[in-house]
Amino acid sequence: MALYNFKKITVVPTAKDFIDLTLSKTQRKTPTVIHKHYQIHRIRHFYMRKVKFTQQNYHDRLTQILTDFPKLDDIHPFYADLMNVLYDKDHYKLALGQINIAKNLIDNVAKDYVRLMKYGDSLYRCKQLKRAALGRMCTILKRQKQSLEYLEQVRQHLSRLPTIDPNTRTLLLCGYPNVGKSSFINKVTRADVEVQPYAFTTKSLFVGHMDYKYLRWQVVDTPGILDHPLEERNTIEMQAITALAHLRAAVLYVMDPSEQCGYTLSQQLELFNNIRPLFTNKPLIVVANKCDVKKVSELSEENQKIFADLLSEGIPVIETSTLTEEGVMQVKTQACDSLLSHRVDTKMKGKKVHDILNRLHLAVPTKRDEKERPPFIPEGAGLRRKTMEVDTPKHKLERDLEVELGDDYTLDLQKYWDLMNAEEKTDKIPEVWEGHNIADYIDPDIMKRLGELEKEEELREKAGEYDSDEESEDEEMQEIRKLAGQIREKRKLKILESKEKNVHGPRLPRTAKKVERSTLEKEMGDLGLDMSEKDNSHYVQQARSRSLVRKRKREASAPPTSRTRSQSASRTPRDQSGVRDAKMMKKVKMMMKSSQKGMNKEGRKGESDRHIFNLRPKHLLAGKRKSGSTSRR
Amino acid sequence: MRIEKCYFCSGPVYPGHGMMFVRNDCKVFRFCKSKCHKNFKKKRNPRKTRWTKAFRKSAGKELTVDNSLEFEKRRNIPVKYNRVLWNKTVEAMKKVENIKQKRQARFILNRLKKGKELEKAEDIKEVKKNIHLIKAPHAGEARKLEEKMVQKLAEDVEMDD
Repeated sequence: MALYNFKKITVVPTAKDFIDLTLSKTQRKTPTVIHKHYQIHRIRHFYMRKVKFTQQNYHDRLTQILTDFPKLDDIHPFYADLMNVLYDKDHYKLALGQINIAKNLIDNVAKDYVRLMKYGDSLYRCKQLKRAALGRMCTILKRQKQSLEYLEQVRQHLSRLPTIDPNTRTLLLCGYPNVGKSSFINKVTRADVEVQPYAFTTKSLFVGHMDYKYLRWQVVDTPGILDHPLEERNTIEMQAITALAHLRAAVLYVMDPSEQCGYTLSQQLELFNNIRPLFTNKPLIVVANKCDVKKVSELSEENQKIFADLLSEGIPVIETSTLTEEGVMQVKTQACDSLLSHRVDTKMKGKKVHDILNRLHLAVPTKRDEKERPPFIPEGAGLRRKTMEVDTPKHKLERDLEVELGDDYTLDLQKYWDLMNAEEKTDKIPEVWEGHNIADYIDPDIMKRLGELEKEEELREKAGEYDSDEESEDEEMQEIRKLAGQIREKRKLKILESKEKNVHGPRLPRTAKKVERSTLEKEMGDLGLDMSEKDNSHYVQQARSRSLVRKRKREASAPPTSRTRSQSASRTPRDQSGVRDAKMMKKVKMMMKSSQKGMNKEGRKGESDRHIFNLRPKHLLAGKRKSGSTSRR
Repeated sequence: MRIEKCYFCSGPVYPGHGMMFVRNDCKVFRFCKSKCHKNFKKKRNPRKTRWTKAFRKSAGKELTVDNSLEFEKRRNIPVKYNRVLWNKTVEAMKKVENIKQKRQARFILNRLKKGKELEKAEDIKEVKKNIHLIKAPHAGEARKLEEKMVQKLAEDVEMDD
């Protein structure tokens, strides 16, 4: 929006500054070193670059100026008119036009000289051409001095204009000088406009903002208007007129019945009638200011008639005093309301309304019966409102207590508890007992449930659940238990013994070892057999005979086999020794076979599998001798 | 102040002990010691970790359903303080605790009874099978026979007389 750009216009430098700036930039940003002996195209390029650079800079800056300054045709007519009033439209347009021309001229100059530079044949020639080009460009700009100065002043003033949004809600104050317009705006908004006893204290438009009904309102203060025809108005008055003409605002025409401003009431009325045409289509209110000095009722007959006429025409007249603030709010509210309704009316007549109206729908609940349901306000609300107004503290606050007690004060919130018995408020409540939370057991009917539980427990006890089991074991069981213990112990000892022997590999059969008589008799005795008087037993006899036989063998050289044969015959063969009868023999054979079954099933190599099937395996004897020692194959 | 339950081992977490972990879905886990916390972080299931109460209850090793256990329950609606009620509750708590412990002990005892029977059967089998390790089959039979013979002789003598 054009509004905002006024503050963002780039600074317009003076002609001298402009030239200095651009030339120094050319100096810094282009290469500076060149020698006579360089190749000619390089020299030409060097100087051409400088010319083009300067031209580019001027061009850019001037274009920026031209685009930044607002075009009077493109902005809101209010601003266009205001600018015309302040800066003169023609002058403005001329200045900008001159700048444009200068820009084009500079471009042409640069083009020409660049073309000429192509035919420069020495450093000196090229340098002169460059000097000429730059010089011409700078002269063009020197001629624009006036325009640039004017534009700079315009820019400064433009950036200081108050930002008046022409489309939003506005209240416009107008009237003769010194009637109290600026005082009014000071009262209603946060603006701080100068108020002085001399006329034309306010020399330009001022804007203040205020809030009403959750909306933002602009209040525009204008310089006073005197009563003469339009052509004779000066710049200051014209600003006010422009504002009146273009802003769609509620107009507050401020009058001074006390005539302290120095103008009579009839003069003010004249002015009012003169600028009446400007008030068409705008809600109007006449403000009779300075009523603390003179009220309308105190006026003379004719003056009062003026106001009566105004009233009869339908223009509200409100008495105010910006000094005592009487009626100021009334004016404000009335003006705002009338403007709002006026704006709504205009919008309704416009085209965009239907889009919005189609989307709005007010839903009202349908009456389901004839019962009246008026809004209900409880009594307490009314009472509370009353007490709020009175503003007395009802009860003592904790803070007061704290202040009273000083150091002894402790915050005790338990005293505010709402319990059934008030004396229990100071109790220390237990929370935990033996690892259980008491809060988990709290139940209003806990005693009942406890009673049931205890009854159940009694029943169980009667049923004998808790009786300790008598170890009704008869002696037999005890005997058995004892025996089992002994058996287990004996077994463990035997296992330990056999582990201690630590024999790996094939074991000698039992018959190969000599069994001492004493150990045999001791063992059998432990097992419960009677081993006394066993001198004639077979094992004693056999032992004796065996030892005798052995001694004889050592003495003589081996006689012929008949004796050994007979002796071997007298000795029971191995597979029959220790075997009592055929039944036992059968069992023995079975045992032998079954003990071999497991091993045979596994197919492992046993003691009798010593046959080597392959005496010279190929994988060991074939092949070259690789790394390793040759001590074996 | 409350004594909480450890999520992993179901033991008591006293104030000032253990750790609390709040997950992104706002579930709160309390642990009584770092052992439980570390197991949790390893994603172990307390129902499968043998030393936890959760395992014991789910495997039927401890009493789970019982009236005496219904007394201790986390309640969501607080009851206003009432001195009489609180005193009664504390007394009731003590009694309930007694009964609860008795019942739990009885439950475990019953569970272990079966083992005794198995032991008995084992003993009998052992004795039947391996009695030969401590007693020879014919031990003492010679003497018995002798005594019998002596008795018989004595009887014969008597008869003769």
